[in-house]
Amino acid sequence: MFLALREIKHAKTRFFLISTILILISWLVFILSGLGNGLANLSAATFKRIDAHYAVFEDGARHSTLRSVISENMIDDLERFENVEAAAPLGTHTAVVLKEGTSGDDAKIDVSLLGINPGTFMEPKVTEGKQLDANNDEGVLVNAVLKDNGIELGDYLEVEGSDEKFKVIGFVENESFNHLPAIFTTMDMWRTIHFAAPGSDRGVEKPVNAIMLRGENIEPETIDQAIDGIETVTKKDAINGIPGFTAENGTIMMMLSFLFVISAFVIAVFFYVLTLQKTNQFGVMKAIGASNGFLGKSIIAQVSIISFISIAIGVALTYATAAVFPEGMPFSLDEKLIITYSIVLFAVSVLSSLISVRKVTKIDPLQAIGRVE
Amino acid sequence: MSGITLRNVTKVYEEGGNSFTALKNASITVSPGEFAAVIGPSGSGKSTFLSIAGALLRPTSGEVLVNNTDITKLSAKKLSRFRLEKIGFILQTSNLVPYLTVLDQLLVVKKMKGKISKEDREYAKQLLGEVGLGGKLHKYSDQLSGGERQRVAIARAFMNDPDIILADEPTASLDSKRAFEVVELIAKEVKARNKAAIMVTHDERMLKYCDRIYEMEDGVLSLAENQPLNKVNELS
Repeated sequence: MFLALREIKHAKTRFFLISTILILISWLVFILSGLGNGLANLSAATFKRIDAHYAVFEDGARHSTLRSVISENMIDDLERFENVEAAAPLGTHTAVVLKEGTSGDDAKIDVSLLGINPGTFMEPKVTEGKQLDANNDEGVLVNAVLKDNGIELGDYLEVEGSDEKFKVIGFVENESFNHLPAIFTTMDMWRTIHFAAPGSDRGVEKPVNAIMLRGENIEPETIDQAIDGIETVTKKDAINGIPGFTAENGTIMMMLSFLFVISAFVIAVFFYVLTLQKTNQFGVMKAIGASNGFLGKSIIAQVSIISFISIAIGVALTYATAAVFPEGMPFSLDEKLIITYSIVLFAVSVLSSLISVRKVTKIDPLQAIGRVE
Repeated sequence: MSGITLRNVTKVYEEGGNSFTALKNASITVSPGEFAAVIGPSGSGKSTFLSIAGALLRPTSGEVLVNNTDITKLSAKKLSRFRLEKIGFILQTSNLVPYLTVLDQLLVVKKMKGKISKEDREYAKQLLGEVGLGGKLHKYSDQLSGGERQRVAIARAFMNDPDIILADEPTASLDSKRAFEVVELIAKEVKARNKAAIMVTHDERMLKYCDRIYEMEDGVLSLAENQPLNKVNELS
């Protein structure tokens, strides 16, 4: 620390420049992680929220609600399996709704229509209004972001391409599926809309897209063997099965990993060049008795100080940026992720400085003797 | 006995099948309070000699005794500790750390060992006062003249209260007036603090401050014929 701090203080410009690069990198890392998180939420908020551990799909549907059709009737059977605490069906449908009495493209709202059984763990708590009622197929719960489109409690919504009408009886928050705000409806209403075309239910009785299972120690293999034509997967696999989720996530993760590699190299090269420049200085210090440990610690301390400050500023800038991002932007900062990425960035920086430390241990103090400059 | 003793020290460099003897059977003893000089042209083996005496280089054969410890037998790790505690180096120019103030140049030596105590701070200030830099404690090396820098290096060499002082061409880039001052200062401190000191130089004008003069030529170390005038009487 003795040498580290004094050198930073003395060579302000040099360390300011390297900090700036690190700040920008960490800023970008955090913004990307926020975007990734925001997109993932948009894509799968409802799946993430529900208190379920496994999902049952039609065999061969590749864990996607888009392709899977199974019968709700198997719920009783499913609930009999060991460790299954509860089971609840889900139907998904992409729809366009309009406030009753309006028309034109501006009034149309893309939504994910989610059919559920009222009272199951699939049903979110309303923040305003009433929960779903099994005896009132007309009533729906609507994502509160639709308020921006002028939707209010008690409003009627028309569903494009269908004669059905919804009545908004409650608002829910942060519920979205497949990048679209969610509307929760009863299973009967969902079936009416989703299987409007004759034969589209492929003759399945009481068809649903998936059945979610609650229970941590469920054995998917046992269930799959006992019931024909289904595939039981973890919630994580189910989320990955949401169209576009894996691709989106993969893109963000790839950018993030590149950024980590870049920051490793930037730090490594900067401190390595700095070390090369100071070879004579280190030689002299070693001649007068500095141990490898002393000099190595000084480099690591320097990298730690610079990285810590830069990452902290990066976090602060990220929150500042988040505050000015437009409302509708899929951006959501997750403290856990921020802390994780901060630690990863910090660790990467410190590890990359070890190249310089290794260089220092190889400097021969002998070069301090008999050298005229 | 204390001080430093080199006994039959030989250093042979092997280079692609050729061997080159840089130092041949060198023996020297310098006791505490003595200031010895080694002169010789460049390439004569002075640097090899000093590096071996300073525990930076292992001899091919022979012993180097500092306070009766044979340092040729110490491990690399122990050697750096040994240099830190027992040897004070005064090197050629530009051996100060550029981003440390004059005071910190001395304190860093203490820091290498562990913590800096209040006494260390006072001692550093006292040493710097003795070399005439009491008023420049917070200057950086680029704000000092060549002579002043060398004085900082002298003070630094004494900081850990070592047993021996080794000076490598301390006057290399100084004009004669500064050079005299610097060597005189080394001699004064060596006497006052009772250290065994060896200075390697090619500058014969500096020899009047030394107690004994050795000559180095082609790796052979021998006592010079012309000893300092003022010392001749003492010797005989």
